[in-house]
Amino acid sequence: MVSWWRPVPANRARLPHHALTETPLPGLDPGWSQLVTAKSADGPRTFHVLDTGPVLQARGIQPTGTILAVHGNPTWSYLWRGVLTNSLDRAEPGSAWRVIAPDQLDMGFSDRLAHPEPPSAGAPSYRRLEQRLEDLDALADALEIDTDRPLVTLGHDWGGIISLAWAMRHRSSVDAVTTLNTAVDHPSGEPVPPALRAAMAPGVLPASTVLTDAFLRTTLSLAEGGLNPKVAAAYRAPYVSRLGRGGIGGFVADIPALAQHASRSVLEEASAGLREWENPALLVWGPKDPVFRDRYLHDLLDRLPDADLHRFEGAGHLVAEDRNISEVLFTWLDDHFGERDAAPLSSSPPPAGQVLGLHEQLTELAASWRREASAVVELDASGSRSLSWQQLKEQVDVLASGLHELGIRSGDRVSLLVQPGNQLTVILYACLRLGAVAVVADAGLGLKGLTRAVRSAWPDWVIGEKPGLTVATALGWPGRRISVDALSPRTARLAGVEASVERLLRGNRSAELDRVPLPAGEHPAAVLFTSGSTGPAKGVIYTHARLGALVALLRRTFAIQPGASLIAGFAPFALLGPAIGASSVTPDMTVTKPATLTAAAVAAAAREGRATMFFGSPAALANVVATAEQLSEEMRRDLTGITLVLSAGAPVHPVLLDQVQELFPHAELHTPYGMTEGLLQADITREQIHQAMTAGQPGVCVGRPVDGVEFAVAPLDDLGRPAETLQNPEDTPGVLSEIVVSAAHLKAGYDRLWHTDRRSRRDHHRGLLWHRTGDIGHFDTAGRLWIQGRLQHVITTPEGPVGPGAVETPVDTLPEVSRSAAVGVGPAGTQAVVVVLEPADGEQLSVGSSPLARPEVSRRVREASAAVPVAGVLVVEALPTDIRHNSKIDRSRLAVWAAEVTAP
Amino acid sequence: MSPQRRRAQYQDQITPGARVLVTGASGLLGRSVAARLAELGYQVTTLQRSPSGLSTVRDVRGSLTEAEPVETAVAGQDAVVHMAAKVSVSGRREEFEQVNIGGTERLLDAAWGAGVNHVLHVSSPSVAHSGSSLVGAGAGPADPVHAEGYYAQTKAEAELIAEARAEVGMKVLIMRPHLVWGPGDGQLTTRIIDRAKSGRLPLLGTGAPLVDTLYIDNAVEAFAAGLRHLPRIAELPAEQRRLVVTNGEPRPIGELLMGIAAAGGAKPPKLRVPPRLAKGAGAVVEKLWAVTGPHEDEPPMTRFLAEQLSTAHWFDQRHTRDVLGWTPQVSIDEGLLKLARHIRRTGRVLS
Repeated sequence: MVSWWRPVPANRARLPHHALTETPLPGLDPGWSQLVTAKSADGPRTFHVLDTGPVLQARGIQPTGTILAVHGNPTWSYLWRGVLTNSLDRAEPGSAWRVIAPDQLDMGFSDRLAHPEPPSAGAPSYRRLEQRLEDLDALADALEIDTDRPLVTLGHDWGGIISLAWAMRHRSSVDAVTTLNTAVDHPSGEPVPPALRAAMAPGVLPASTVLTDAFLRTTLSLAEGGLNPKVAAAYRAPYVSRLGRGGIGGFVADIPALAQHASRSVLEEASAGLREWENPALLVWGPKDPVFRDRYLHDLLDRLPDADLHRFEGAGHLVAEDRNISEVLFTWLDDHFGERDAAPLSSSPPPAGQVLGLHEQLTELAASWRREASAVVELDASGSRSLSWQQLKEQVDVLASGLHELGIRSGDRVSLLVQPGNQLTVILYACLRLGAVAVVADAGLGLKGLTRAVRSAWPDWVIGEKPGLTVATALGWPGRRISVDALSPRTARLAGVEASVERLLRGNRSAELDRVPLPAGEHPAAVLFTSGSTGPAKGVIYTHARLGALVALLRRTFAIQPGASLIAGFAPFALLGPAIGASSVTPDMTVTKPATLTAAAVAAAAREGRATMFFGSPAALANVVATAEQLSEEMRRDLTGITLVLSAGAPVHPVLLDQVQELFPHAELHTPYGMTEGLLQADITREQIHQAMTAGQPGVCVGRPVDGVEFAVAPLDDLGRPAETLQNPEDTPGVLSEIVVSAAHLKAGYDRLWHTDRRSRRDHHRGLLWHRTGDIGHFDTAGRLWIQGRLQHVITTPEGPVGPGAVETPVDTLPEVSRSAAVGVGPAGTQAVVVVLEPADGEQLSVGSSPLARPEVSRRVREASAAVPVAGVLVVEALPTDIRHNSKIDRSRLAVWAAEVTAP
Repeated sequence: MSPQRRRAQYQDQITPGARVLVTGASGLLGRSVAARLAELGYQVTTLQRSPSGLSTVRDVRGSLTEAEPVETAVAGQDAVVHMAAKVSVSGRREEFEQVNIGGTERLLDAAWGAGVNHVLHVSSPSVAHSGSSLVGAGAGPADPVHAEGYYAQTKAEAELIAEARAEVGMKVLIMRPHLVWGPGDGQLTTRIIDRAKSGRLPLLGTGAPLVDTLYIDNAVEAFAAGLRHLPRIAELPAEQRRLVVTNGEPRPIGELLMGIAAAGGAKPPKLRVPPRLAKGAGAVVEKLWAVTGPHEDEPPMTRFLAEQLSTAHWFDQRHTRDVLGWTPQVSIDEGLLKLARHIRRTGRVLS
């Protein structure tokens, strides 16, 4: 017993707007508040409840469903004000959710209990989980919740546990469960998160939770970027005095971290119940939560494998404050309970050619007369190594056998922290064979981006090289560890490594492997990541069928024949080599830095791999051109065997293409258009680009759709917003629009981003399944697609929306300019265009040390951008770009900088 | 003709033929507007101390601070275009008050008394702002408390007076041109070129802040459009009958200064002063100036100028263009060419 404890007396529930005279409650309508007395197990108790029922009634709207929202500790129903507001904004006859959000007993503005003793696990005056569930029962009765219509629970923190446990007990009445950050299980052996441990220590608990407001303040400080002070004050309002904080301590004391805790059995009842839950479930998560960390999310997902999840990267514990959770919630509810006609079933167009399993080419070639030919070749400073088709097939089977024996199963996620090369190819195809899902987060995301990507994908296994595994251990990445090279027992133990690819490859192909079925087409095969140049990298899921469709398309578009051999300067395509039946040559380069690929390295790769194709990114191509002087006559001859050069990842300057053509005199140069969500959508050759440029259209011409790809457009309005209704490209020539695409080889979905995925595929135009690319551009009357940039980079001038490309493409042709970026400054709808230049080598374009361009430079830029008025021209040493391609300009960052410089 | 009948006559547009009083026709803008209106067929009377020098208008000579010439000038008019103001960046507060506040009040009283019901009140964007950066800004209400400097403060008061008349039945349109320049401009244009020539034109900080300006020819056409559409615009809510008028081409201030200096044949300015320092220096100079009395020239740098040069000032022109049915016909680059040609031909900025 804490000797300095002073008893807390009981107190009556109050209406917040009556109780508070000084503190405003921004966003909370007094009309939602009521006091409700319910018959709880230990007598009548009065609760403060937010309820939109009366408002709806006053509007003459009959609710079509009820949301019961339960807050956690140490918040109160104020947490749900956004949900209430949003529900009322959306309410209309025939579709209206009544939201009921009580303050839990001893919390918010509900009755305060008397506490003669300080909070502890055994202290009788504090509410326990079981009583809180009974309280909710009593409240539901008192409020006459309509169980004939859809009833949905919503929770957060402790409210997540309580609402889920309550739903499990009333599964016949509850139609869906939704929750924000929470946890329904804590392995009793494991330590509680350090952030909570401090507050829970028996000697500290009363002081940190009741006697002081430390726990309260710490929790409120978890909001992204800090809470608005008025909002923070509103959260604190019921807890400013020690006398109001008994419930906070009671909740912390009720955390059943230990097996013998009184609430443990109730929690276990709930967590076990979730496994049998068959109704819809939605999880909305803020991963930057020091308490409810991702492992609790994955425990929930494990129990609710069919739950929809939206994980707001960058948001934290107070995700309801950090992000618009209502938009996610109500869109989801509408999908499940909406009265509207169900969305028509949409499908992708047929694939461009016959879809083969990703192993079929490999198996076929390994058995053919080509079996001795090289399937994969890698070069580095020490020389070259290759595997024949037969060897590759054998290694894949042996490794798959070993991985299977180790426990990798169909559906397991395997993060591959391995440099592109022969080993990665073997590992990838072994995983695919088992039906495991390859998580391909590349170092091109940067360490921070990579960490975020791996955490979001939450792999069951990590296969990595030593540096990758060291980082994984240091940063606490999830997953069981397998190293590529065999490690010493001590190193392996330190890094938590269970096995090595090297050792597994020394084993044999097991007969067991024949009993592992080949994965089905709709089975996920891989998670790739977007480059993250426009917001956090998104995981993109591909199924075996969709990758198969991509393989068929590549074979068809680039007429790939047996004997073809490609130099992979661009990772995504390299991994598909075995699937398309081409041998893949990894040149000597730092793959994460495409600009390190030299002309000599390409020539060496061409010679060693008898390459017929070269796939590169624009940055790689630029460096190849820049280092062409190194080439000997012999090396130049090696390049003449290349008949196809393909540049992917970002647009390429025609001048650069001409220079590339000189190096590869026999090659046809293609610059396909695509994205991580659909790697190949349109295609154009160098000659066609030159032809298109005479048309004088804004942006970069990316050509015509490839086989099996359908395009649609969503025209932009004056504020740069894309239309909700799609149109056909041939009906809208020249209209700046968001580009929307449909194809068999598009993504299967975004990973753990339910709402993003839902938004990207919201269209049902022509009965097809579409993907909103986020790219903007237009089609010309000849059916060619011109890209002008990204949707979030649209400049909304008074004359209408403008894509950055409309300005940059002509400006980039100025000889004194290396590259340029156009950004908007000022309010949407009346923005001014600012062009930021990166000077060509040796050019001095600015006025002294100022970023302002010299007047004659500005004049030339304005002349070049004749169609779009340019307000100001600035100069920087180098434009910021993404790490992966070194070619996607970070215009959002530039726009912020330009706004500061032009308006200090 | 009774006042009531005259009001009825111009319900939608004030068309050529109407009788219009233009105050302040001795300055570039006032004289150009008066001349243009006469050219369009309006019967123009002007009111200012010195002769307008225009043969197409009737001059009434006098100051807004005197009752008699004001009453003479407003008699029989259909509309007043009120451009007269003390625009200097230095001087005693009383002088600004007498002309800008007292003069406006006297003029509007006289107009009301004479049944002249339509007023185009010419103001300044500076009446609504306190020196921070303006980016795509609208035309907010005049704010004499936060406006900086005697000119902006007294013009803000004047605008409130004009707005108050709208409350009681006058038809009032407020137009706020921003930084008018061009051939004939003895204010901004002449000063920039003179200082550039004597090496006293500071290019402050980076020179990159975006600033809106208005080429003189465009200003004239905007006022002609404002007068014509005044009856219709005056029916709009208050915030929609305040119009900031610019070329709608924000430009980096450094580039503008260099462009105007170059048009005047001066070498491009090089001096760089950190904005905070310039502001401090400006404030000191302004004070000194007030103490030591009037000189021939303005003080070399005032706080007003320092702010103009180190903060952004540009405006949302969508409503202005929409409601006036007007777009600038002369771009800034064309304007600079015209200015250079004018100076080469005449040897000076002033006409």
